[in-house]
Amino acid sequence: MADKQTDPAETFAKLVSDWERNFDSMANKIMGTDEFSQSMNQFQNLQLAMQKRFNEAMAQHLLNLNMPSRDDILRLGESIRSVEKRLASIEATLAKKKKKKTDKGGGKKPPRTKLPPSMRSKQRHE
Amino acid sequence: MDRAGKLVERTIARNLKGLDFLTMPPAKVGLTPKEVLYERGTLRLYHYLPQADELYRVPILLVMATTNKAYVFDLAPGQSMVEYLLKEGFDVYVIDWEPPLPEERSLSLADYTQDFIPTCVQMVIDDSGEPDLSIVGYCMGGVLSLIYAASHTDGPLKNLVCLTTPVNWAEMGLTRIWSDEKHFDVDRLVDTLGVVPQDFVQASFEMLRPAQKSASQIRVWEKMWDDEFVKSYRAFDRWGNETLPLAGEYFRDTTKELMWANKLYKGNLVVNGKTAKLSDIKVPIMAAMAEHDHIVAYKASKPLMDLVGSEDKEEIVLKGGHVSLIAGPNAVRRMWPKLAEWLGERSV
Repeated sequence: MADKQTDPAETFAKLVSDWERNFDSMANKIMGTDEFSQSMNQFQNLQLAMQKRFNEAMAQHLLNLNMPSRDDILRLGESIRSVEKRLASIEATLAKKKKKKTDKGGGKKPPRTKLPPSMRSKQRHE
Repeated sequence: MDRAGKLVERTIARNLKGLDFLTMPPAKVGLTPKEVLYERGTLRLYHYLPQADELYRVPILLVMATTNKAYVFDLAPGQSMVEYLLKEGFDVYVIDWEPPLPEERSLSLADYTQDFIPTCVQMVIDDSGEPDLSIVGYCMGGVLSLIYAASHTDGPLKNLVCLTTPVNWAEMGLTRIWSDEKHFDVDRLVDTLGVVPQDFVQASFEMLRPAQKSASQIRVWEKMWDDEFVKSYRAFDRWGNETLPLAGEYFRDTTKELMWANKLYKGNLVVNGKTAKLSDIKVPIMAAMAEHDHIVAYKASKPLMDLVGSEDKEEIVLKGGHVSLIAGPNAVRRMWPKLAEWLGERSV
């Protein structure tokens, strides 16, 4: 018992855990205030505003150069996605048909006959 | 061996293994054999190969949270919920998410709950040949599963399990405060960025426990001699760093409909024209919560049992945190056996 109390590794581990708990608790108190939330979001809004300006300027440059903007590429991507969705549904239908054929061929799968322990013991008693 | 000897031995081992630790490739995760059953954009549906001679009739579909990779269900052999369920005789399918691409910015809550999940449910039905299935949702995956269940009451769902699933978003603690509509301009964020970046999602998790990362790094250095501890740390660390970005519209919906208006809790959520009232869920349901969950507070998930219309319902509260509930030592000892027992009784 005395050995355990003075084990330096355990003392160190406890020290780390205590520090973690205290630091998190203190930080959570500060971060849980309305003021913190407000300033964090203000900073984020500032960053987003700068990014928006940059995006708009870049889109204008690309337009002047007669090149597609990020939005144009994304719109293209979105229409590819809708084609992909249709393709996936066709593939799924084909896979379903193929599976039906394979199942008929007798693909080995474990039987779905398992019972929970409570029902098994009941069956045994009967 | 005396204490001094043990200390010296561990110090030597720490120095030798510490070098390996720094140069090792990322931890190998998700090793249980599986096949991709369906993939479309951000969506993946996996089927794990059965590992028992006899299966329960009803297959299980695990729905992962949209913020993280599903290999947390299958971290390493012996530390894998999927492997455990397979060995217990379940047929297991998993919905996983890849980072949404910029062109997937317009995916909304409706896409996830009225398209992705129903499509995967149908795929599981077709693949297993069974008319019904159980769904197990983790965290936000639980929310999506609840919305699906509440809006598809005549569907093939037989049992529902929600793991650390928030229902009352007013009790989401710091996350609720930081995203308060007074200060947080979600429209500006989504309209500017399209897809909410991974850094943003990861920072919002890490800020909840700002000292956790440093403390974990100190702990792993101290325990560098313990191979099992290091192996587990590396797998968790990799998973924690592989947070996913979020589709913008989905993030906007989640923030406005769930976080701000708390519609799932209040019973007035409408998705794609369909009402999703928790009281309409009548299937057997189990909810597992973690006592020390710092991401989804106990108070946020607690009301679920009172809100659902099911008669067969059970709640379990376990010690531990948000992730250790499904992948920690307590999960191995208590949660997995309880889950298998509860589902087993209802899977014939």
